[in-house]
Amino acid sequence: MGIGSIFKEILDAFHWSDIMNNFSILVADSGETSRKKLCDLLGKKGYKIFQATDGAGAIRVSRSIFPDLVIMDSNLWGIHAHEAARIIEEDRLSTVIFVTNNLNKAFFENLKNMKIFAYIMKPVQPEQLYQMVEFSIINSSKINSLTQKVNKLEHSLESRKKIDKAKGILMEKLEISENEAYGILRKRSMDECLPMDKMAEKIICNYG
Amino acid sequence: MNNKEALLDKARELEVEFIHLQFTDILGVMKNVSITIEQLEKALDNEIMFDGSSIDGFVRIEESDMYLRPEISTFAVLPWTSNPKEARLICDIYKPDGTPFDGCPRNALKKVLKEAEELGYILNVGPECEFFLFHTNERGEPCLETHDNAGYFDLAPVDLGGNARKDMTIVLKQMGFEIEASHHEVAPGQHEIDFKYADALTTADNIMTFKMVVRIIAQRHGLHATFMPKPKFGINGSGMHTNMSLATLGGENAFYDENDSMKLSEAAYHFLGGVIKHAKGFAAVTNPTVNSYKRLVPGYEAPVLIAWSASNRSPLIRIPAKRGNSTRIELRNPDPSANPYLALAAVLKAGLDGMKNKIAPPKPVTSNVYHMDQLEMTEKGIEGLPANLYEAVQELTKDEVMKEALGKHISEKFVDAALYEWNEYSKYISQWELDRYLRKF
Repeated sequence: MGIGSIFKEILDAFHWSDIMNNFSILVADSGETSRKKLCDLLGKKGYKIFQATDGAGAIRVSRSIFPDLVIMDSNLWGIHAHEAARIIEEDRLSTVIFVTNNLNKAFFENLKNMKIFAYIMKPVQPEQLYQMVEFSIINSSKINSLTQKVNKLEHSLESRKKIDKAKGILMEKLEISENEAYGILRKRSMDECLPMDKMAEKIICNYG
Repeated sequence: MNNKEALLDKARELEVEFIHLQFTDILGVMKNVSITIEQLEKALDNEIMFDGSSIDGFVRIEESDMYLRPEISTFAVLPWTSNPKEARLICDIYKPDGTPFDGCPRNALKKVLKEAEELGYILNVGPECEFFLFHTNERGEPCLETHDNAGYFDLAPVDLGGNARKDMTIVLKQMGFEIEASHHEVAPGQHEIDFKYADALTTADNIMTFKMVVRIIAQRHGLHATFMPKPKFGINGSGMHTNMSLATLGGENAFYDENDSMKLSEAAYHFLGGVIKHAKGFAAVTNPTVNSYKRLVPGYEAPVLIAWSASNRSPLIRIPAKRGNSTRIELRNPDPSANPYLALAAVLKAGLDGMKNKIAPPKPVTSNVYHMDQLEMTEKGIEGLPANLYEAVQELTKDEVMKEALGKHISEKFVDAALYEWNEYSKYISQWELDRYLRKF
């Protein structure tokens, strides 16, 4: 290993800890002692900490700051923790991991529907907490970028299908070649300032 | 989409798993029976039965079997459900012998609407629903704290309430509402969303749907939405101004007459006369809670006196300036705690009574009625709305026309429930009394 690559590794590590420090975490726990403990532990690592004491409060904070991670006690006041977590993840506000001391079947059933299948056991062990937080933030950002890619691909596949269908219709109606049909479609969508798939939709709707 | 087969196909195509069969009890609370998609066909054949005896003010235990008849045109997917998807259908309630149940508010409204139709009119209604968005406290219980200190039409920067209102508008649009405007109201945390007018039955359905959507979306924003008429002393309460116009069966506005000095038709004047005559009688229906009457006090843009005006906003009824097809009257006392079916049934019946008996309205007032003194009021023959729920119920029991609008069953149960409410309230020692008397005596 050359000196250069060692430098690079150090730089990377430096850079990495820098990023971790910029992460914001919402701690939602109705118990003051346990909430404080979690906040203290996470604060030591340099995360930006926000707090909530009830389900609705957790949703409100998530909506205004979009934290990178929500650590939620499974036994929360107000709206049930699972309900609040579902809303936070469904509306893509953040990723939720639970802190719990009660591992029953219902808990695991609910966990299956969450973005990340992970939880923290009470009493909280610092090392387990840190590891789980890093694991969750990194994995959820990977999942998020994959979801985005899948959505984008699905969309382009969907528009490709529509464009093909519209082309087919034009070819049949006007008895022209595929290239000419594509040309017409492109020209029309440029004229009307519409994306091509929207134009294709119009054609399918009107003549299909 | 008006037939059963099309609806079944649509529900399957949209991958709906659960259907909520909704109806409204006499007190205006939405109830529902949930069924799975497999049961939908049975529901559309009007075969879903429920026990009516546990619903407030419905029936005695020995006649408890009731049938739900879904209205196919009210099918709507609930946009906030995704996995599994859920939908709703609004239902009428029928007795086992196949006749409409008298205790169903929707049936009561239909009866009055039919009466109007026999006279050649259709009632169109556009409501303006106001509501508050409150925070929850650290225990997750709703409290009176609001997220903003904004006022009328204000733009609040990065405002949780504004975002929630935007989401509500989106969801309502997805459910087929045509939203006309949404804005911040006068009081901090108070909002209003207006949707397009429609015939009275559709509007009543829409008001129920609206209240459900607002509460659910507010919850998704960590806020508590309330339609309580006056949640806080010292600031404006929430009203549900009701814009009404009659259309002829041919679709023309029956309130407009270009030859009149105010461009109002004879029908409009008589309708107005009827509404003013029965205003005291229907107050218990349009303002059905103890709290409703704490909104109807001077100084907070809520009406106190039974009068009408073409311009001034202080009296009970205002005639907005727009004429032609938009000619309408705006009734300003209803609040969103009212059962919309019963409120519209009562107000329409009052108007129809005016038209049938050719009741002329009093002269319009032109000044601010808040500034009128007692002498001026007596001179002009202007009376006040009932001061509290008890007075309102007394007025209702005296008004035969209003009782007929609700039907015997509903009016009896309604009066019982309101009196029970009043008695409970009268017994309770409020904070105000403690603050006032504990040290004094």
